[in-house]
Amino acid sequence: MKLLHTKLPEFIKKMQVAAATKGSTPKEINIMGLENLRSAKMQSLRTGRIEHAVGEIAALDNVERLELIMIPRVPETMQTVIVKGIDKEGVCQKAVLEIINVLHPTEEAYLLDCDPENVDDRRPAIGNH
Amino acid sequence: MAQLKYRMIPEGMLNGKLIPLNIVLIDYKDVKECGLEPKEAFEAVAKTIDGPAGLNIIDLDAVTTTSDGIVVEGTIIRMAASDRGRINKDFGYLEMIPLNYTDEDVKREPHLKVWKEKYPDRTLYMGPDYKKKIIPVHNVVITGRASNNNSATEMMNIVTMEEILLPILGQLEILRGGKVLLGYTGEVISVGIGMVVAEEYGRIVPKRQYRCGDTAHGSGEYAKTLKKHIPIICAEKPVLAKYIIQALECGLVPGREIGGSPAVLTVAKYLHKDIDFDNITDRAYEELASIGFTKEWMHSEFPLLTPEEIIARADELIPGCEDYEIYDSKDLVQVKYAEC
Repeated sequence: MKLLHTKLPEFIKKMQVAAATKGSTPKEINIMGLENLRSAKMQSLRTGRIEHAVGEIAALDNVERLELIMIPRVPETMQTVIVKGIDKEGVCQKAVLEIINVLHPTEEAYLLDCDPENVDDRRPAIGNH
Repeated sequence: MAQLKYRMIPEGMLNGKLIPLNIVLIDYKDVKECGLEPKEAFEAVAKTIDGPAGLNIIDLDAVTTTSDGIVVEGTIIRMAASDRGRINKDFGYLEMIPLNYTDEDVKREPHLKVWKEKYPDRTLYMGPDYKKKIIPVHNVVITGRASNNNSATEMMNIVTMEEILLPILGQLEILRGGKVLLGYTGEVISVGIGMVVAEEYGRIVPKRQYRCGDTAHGSGEYAKTLKKHIPIICAEKPVLAKYIIQALECGLVPGREIGGSPAVLTVAKYLHKDIDFDNITDRAYEELASIGFTKEWMHSEFPLLTPEEIIARADELIPGCEDYEIYDSKDLVQVKYAEC
């Protein structure tokens, strides 16, 4: 770890590399939940732990491919919605800001096919880093 | 091993209406008889259900209020959501809190006069303690696909995105073995549920966000569409009438102390009770007018009926619900047992 924050493209690259190199064969990883972010700074300490988890799972012989799904930690998010009107030159002429409250499924919805005994929850309590 | 009794309406089609997740109601008396804490009771029941479920523990001896501020006997005191037999440890469980309100508090929430006069020895509950819950805005619990919202009176499957309305009186009638309506929420209730009162710990809208006489929806002519096509299971209309009549006979005025919902206004008109027309806001009037409850209707002459007549004719007189039938709740609900 060189920096305290990891750039988003490097985060994605690290996970792909871990999936491709830590198993006996290269494995694909499908990363979901980051599609709306073009740029972000990710906590490096946690990036490293996630990279490690990807490597651990990639190393399992009974695993053929991986998924990495990012969902809100607290399943109600207040979002700002930015509606932009753009002219033919590509310049924003008008914007309206609104809010919307979104209810999300929690992690169980993504683990319906997984035996609970095989789920290793390493998350800290709410409010802790 | 002891057996905890619970009632369940299973996920799936029920007489042509889609139930989006398993609905579980547990009598608090049964929880105590098994020597369980509420959370343990939920866990025991959740283990028996594979799919998504909303689970409520109901104390029939306590009291609460409906969205339009009508005090009723019985309330949900704990709520949970489960999926694949488990309850999310952070977001899957919530407690409603007993409210030891003083006379000053009742002055601020005057619809509670009914509690003070008719049920002084009963514990009042509304929603959870909003200062302590983790999910910031909604009074909701979520586990996986299951969501139990609005302090346990609206349940959703967040993956299929279907929902069902479960107003408090219907849940209480199920536990009491009474009759319920199964149908669609319709336009009248879509508007009616917006006519809230100001409550600090409101089950649906806390922090006294909207005053009596106003609408929490503020959606104009679209208010009638908000829940129109959502399935609903609610109490039969004589039960609703009885509690509305009680509130009116305690001297509470629609539009000022209790919400100006179509059902409340209708009963008030037949009893020739006052309505605070000046306190109802323009946007509330607009929503009511969009479903035919115009100012002309509100100011028109109604025959004076006795409470007994209103209750006897409630199905005919009180608006609400569409495409519904009345059922003996025993015919809709499975009685099941969980080991504990």
